[in-house]
Amino acid sequence: MNQITNTGNLGPMILQSLAPGMLYTPTASMNYITIADKVAMPAHGGTTCRFMRPRALKPPTVQLGNSGIDPPAQVPQRDVIDAQVAFFGTGCIINEQVILQDQEGVLAWVSERLAVSMRQAEDLILRDYIISAASQINAGGGSNGDNPTNFGTSDFSLVATTLDCNNAFKFVSGIEGTPKIGTGPVRSGYFMLSSTELQTDFDALTGQGFKNQWDYSNNASALITEYGSVFNIRILTSSEAPVIRGGSANGNDLYYNTVAGKQALTHVKQTGMSMKMIYRDPYYSGMLAQNCTLAIKFPQGQALTQDTAIRNLMSTRKSGFIF
Amino acid sequence: MAEYSRLAKGKFTSTGQAQVVNLPFRPDYVEFINYSAAASGADNGVPKAYWDFNMGQGFAVIDRFQAANQLTMDTVDLLGITTFEAGNLTQYGAALAISTVTKAAAAVVTSVSNHGLKSGDVVIMNNLYQTAVTCMQQIAGMPFTVTVTGDTTFTIPWNTNQSAYTAYDTATSTEDAFFKKVLYPYLYFPGVNFISAITTGTTTTIDTTTAHNFVVGQEVAFRVPTQYGTVELNSLPNQTIPGSPIYGYVIAVTDYNTVIVNVDSTAYTAFDSNQSFTSFVGLSFPQIVAVGDINTGGVQISSGSALYPPPYSIPIGTTRVNTINGPAIQGAYVNNTAQGFVIGAGVAEGDASAILVGAASDVIYWRAYLHDISLP
Repeated sequence: MNQITNTGNLGPMILQSLAPGMLYTPTASMNYITIADKVAMPAHGGTTCRFMRPRALKPPTVQLGNSGIDPPAQVPQRDVIDAQVAFFGTGCIINEQVILQDQEGVLAWVSERLAVSMRQAEDLILRDYIISAASQINAGGGSNGDNPTNFGTSDFSLVATTLDCNNAFKFVSGIEGTPKIGTGPVRSGYFMLSSTELQTDFDALTGQGFKNQWDYSNNASALITEYGSVFNIRILTSSEAPVIRGGSANGNDLYYNTVAGKQALTHVKQTGMSMKMIYRDPYYSGMLAQNCTLAIKFPQGQALTQDTAIRNLMSTRKSGFIF
Repeated sequence: MAEYSRLAKGKFTSTGQAQVVNLPFRPDYVEFINYSAAASGADNGVPKAYWDFNMGQGFAVIDRFQAANQLTMDTVDLLGITTFEAGNLTQYGAALAISTVTKAAAAVVTSVSNHGLKSGDVVIMNNLYQTAVTCMQQIAGMPFTVTVTGDTTFTIPWNTNQSAYTAYDTATSTEDAFFKKVLYPYLYFPGVNFISAITTGTTTTIDTTTAHNFVVGQEVAFRVPTQYGTVELNSLPNQTIPGSPIYGYVIAVTDYNTVIVNVDSTAYTAFDSNQSFTSFVGLSFPQIVAVGDINTGGVQISSGSALYPPPYSIPIGTTRVNTINGPAIQGAYVNNTAQGFVIGAGVAEGDASAILVGAASDVIYWRAYLHDISLP
């Protein structure tokens, strides 16, 4: 028989107390900003950031001879790359009663979440921009019979060789070997931004070229998201790395692994307006001043400033289902 | 009580195809009046329609004429009104089964059920096995702009009428092929595009599998894998100036997926898209990539355009889809993320001739809302 609860028939009182501090919010590592050069447009400097890159002049490898006649002059040329800046923002409306009555510092943790969302947006915009703009190499060194395949070590070699042939600059110097058992030197490297879902595949390449970060002779210079390295590629992983579910030729998950050298990608901000946290007092919300607002706003533009120094190494996964 | 709600209204002239309306919010209620249909009172006209978030995406309640000047009410259950938030490139539609893919230039794809696509949409196809070693896995995973030819048919800009390709027929195949719609293929442009054909000559003509969104003056680079032939276009370091990549410039835009580049390719190796089925594992696709521009001006003002026209994409034909940005230098990297709603070209449940978005030239007045309070 159902029992109707009323003021004359309440359940026993449960004593409660709010635990100190908020629990952590699972947040993906933000790797894409890591590889980006940072440029700030001047305030009132228009909507477009223009990059210029001089073209190489032809080296004069033919001798002048003794005719006394100058060789023809060369025409200096430059390449132009334009990036338009756009604005982004979001915010929350918080009723004054919440602020007055809640114990857990609502404004503080909402501010924190807005700031994190701003940083995430910055990273995701760069991520998606790279998907759209950078050229691709399909992994073919794996054994799963798909297109692209899962990683084989030859894929890392191929993409690093491609960037080397393009005279890209590596991000980090090598790490010398030290007499510590189980460790070894690490080559100078480009960064590859990969999905955490591929970590089991990287582990499977241990002994074939993959070296876990903890097997570096010294991992003091390793980045916090650095999972390891293969040849001249140092791998940073994040759960926000792009994956197209069922996107490969055989209908398996398709991963974008962005391999980049220095100056391949540039992130554009604006001086004096890089990121704003905006608090608006309830006083402005209506005649009863019931609601405050907390918001963030930022400008951002982006460009591939050295297209030769970036590739998306596409891959599938060899290991089992992620859940 | 409308302090934080959002209200918007506007009008457009229907093309008979789904109409995208960009807004600074994602509405929870949309209604519109088709003035032309109301004025004519002709049978099959849809003079009014309503959509609430709680109906679900793709639905609508409509008034329609069941005979001249005789109104009744009905619903649209597919391709009705939807809202969207295009801010993430990795969004794909549901997998839809493929019935057949023909061996033709342009290949014709037939879906098992209504595909719901419109011309200009982009799809990827997967599992294109007729047997374990035949069919067209060579193009599986490659994005294609579709040209819709029927409720269950569309063409893709690729020549499968070549010796290495075999038609797909699900009735006799070893695998179940499917395709997915790329929901927002042009959130950022210009960028990388896959090449379907290259015509060599004193200038070089490039056909792409999706809309390139290039402009005259666009600086481009090529990534042509060895198997495809025309590797001389590649921008790998110039032999005469070691370390200097080779770029070309777009000198004419022929169509949404064709451009002419100022590279003299007369002596270059012919392009070959007739890749063998067995080569598909690990096969990279030929690409053309935007790497810069030589423009200094924005989109020119034209009759009826905004005073400062924004950059636009051209998903197919001559259709311009404006970004929500301010003006930008033509050829610049721009952001095309947006949100809003779509009035689809779905038909009434009780009358397949009553099309939600009306006929071409119909004038439609819409209103969209995002409410402060929505119960429950």
